[in-house]
Amino acid sequence: MSAPLLETRNLGVRFGGLQALEAIDLQVNQGEIFGLLGPNGAGKTTLFNLISGVTAATGGEVLWRGARISGLDPNRIARLGIARTFQNLRLFHSLNCCDNVLVGLHRQARLPWAAALLGSGLARRRQHELRERAQQLLELLEIGHLAEQNAADLAYGDRRRLEMARALANDPELLLLDEPAAGMNPGEKDELKGLIRRIRDQFNLTILIIEHHVPLMLGLCDRLAVLNFGRRIALGSPEAVRQNPAVIEAYLGGSS
Amino acid sequence: MIDASLLTQMLIGALLGLSVYLPLRCGQLSLATPGFYAIGGTLAALLSTRVSALGGSDAAYPLSSVLLEMALAALLCGVLATGIGAVVLRLRGVYLAIATIALVEILRVTTLNQEALGGAVGIFGIPQPFNDPGGYVLFTLMLVAAICWLCDRIERNRLGRAMAAIRDDELAAACQGIDTERTKLVAFVLSAVVAGLVGVISAHFLNSWNARLGNFDASITTLSYVVFGGSRTWAGPVLGGLVLTALPELLRPIGDLRLIVFGLVILVGPLLLPQGLISPQLLQVLRGWLQRWRPGQADPATTQGGKP
Repeated sequence: MSAPLLETRNLGVRFGGLQALEAIDLQVNQGEIFGLLGPNGAGKTTLFNLISGVTAATGGEVLWRGARISGLDPNRIARLGIARTFQNLRLFHSLNCCDNVLVGLHRQARLPWAAALLGSGLARRRQHELRERAQQLLELLEIGHLAEQNAADLAYGDRRRLEMARALANDPELLLLDEPAAGMNPGEKDELKGLIRRIRDQFNLTILIIEHHVPLMLGLCDRLAVLNFGRRIALGSPEAVRQNPAVIEAYLGGSS
Repeated sequence: MIDASLLTQMLIGALLGLSVYLPLRCGQLSLATPGFYAIGGTLAALLSTRVSALGGSDAAYPLSSVLLEMALAALLCGVLATGIGAVVLRLRGVYLAIATIALVEILRVTTLNQEALGGAVGIFGIPQPFNDPGGYVLFTLMLVAAICWLCDRIERNRLGRAMAAIRDDELAAACQGIDTERTKLVAFVLSAVVAGLVGVISAHFLNSWNARLGNFDASITTLSYVVFGGSRTWAGPVLGGLVLTALPELLRPIGDLRLIVFGLVILVGPLLLPQGLISPQLLQVLRGWLQRWRPGQADPATTQGGKP
């Protein structure tokens, strides 16, 4: 069997005296929707930060198609085809929605510098194509009508959508979604489930998702891993994870 | 009131404003502009007074020699900025500002103590390429136009978007695959090249050059051009440079009071217009007018997003 798309081996990080993550082994296969569950402070976002190169690991390694990527800069990792959203939303506030997505298209927007500088026919056509692509992505996320709005002026839910549009613009193979349903009402959460499945099929994506809403995760993910206090306490299908005693103890507390 | 000499100074102010603006557009508060300005000025002063081959046979200093000096200054500043930028751009925010102030001071003190670079006295009798001040106005105006065009092109393209993204959120920008180190370095080097070019023109225009022209005061003055004019688009620093260079001269009739008025303008400007004279809101209004005036030719890129 070929190497999994993404793999972490014995991955860990220590912040001073705090071991935030310890010995995390995960394998994410191509085309999977893989969920990360865990109580607050379990280290889920930290794991995302390690994978995307935002934080440097202090132990173990991250492998992308079998090749080590830990230690690379975030922009190098992004260019390999790993895109992410942020739990606390990091949009480009002075830019409008269309430009936010255009920044996401950075990698595809490359042009010979002379053509870009002189605004040649080629450059104008490319620019037009990019804008159309950005508009398509905004429409896919149902915020096409907000293209000219400043990112700072958007409602919370629309900001989440814009972040996903921007991440999709990266043309990733692996999409890391950090709490995409935060702040959404139950109806919107249902829609989100459909949307995530749709983009997975349409863009041929593998998705690694962090979310607190357990029913959403059980219904959406192919496989789940549960973290608690920086350790992986369970791994497997939604059904197996739901019945895992360690998970029940982490969420409901054990009898002591 | 505004004569050719003041007009040249204003245009020089606009160019220095643009030099500060370029790194600032990527969120990098670099105060190194006067340092590279001094390098350009000193280089021009040395070459034009010590290398007789550049002088030519005419009474006026040949324009081709000025252009050669500008090319050399651009090259020298560009190379130096690449080396320095690679190190100092690792610093963020106010630490970058402090490091670049140190750079300016190191250059100033070095020049002050090197007789070969003019020392404390400076270099006098820098030859004039133009017989009348109008020549300087035209020449500087052409350079302003060229740099504005360059900035406008950059802002409309991938590089400009990447710069804006880094200004807003450097980490998120890196996660979009933008090589943030390189983008910041490009802005820093462009800024240095512009400052070096202006230094060459200034040296000829001022007729003499000394180390005091590139000091900490100049760092703050040039920064005020951008703060006053706005750092969203190139028009901001140009306007800021023009107005703030002209203001002290135009206020001359009111005597020493002008310093107070000048200080008030610098103080009140950012209070009333925190984004500068050319603010994003103003740009939006202008864009709206432009589209109403010529709806037929409206840029397809800016209108297509409006459909419901």
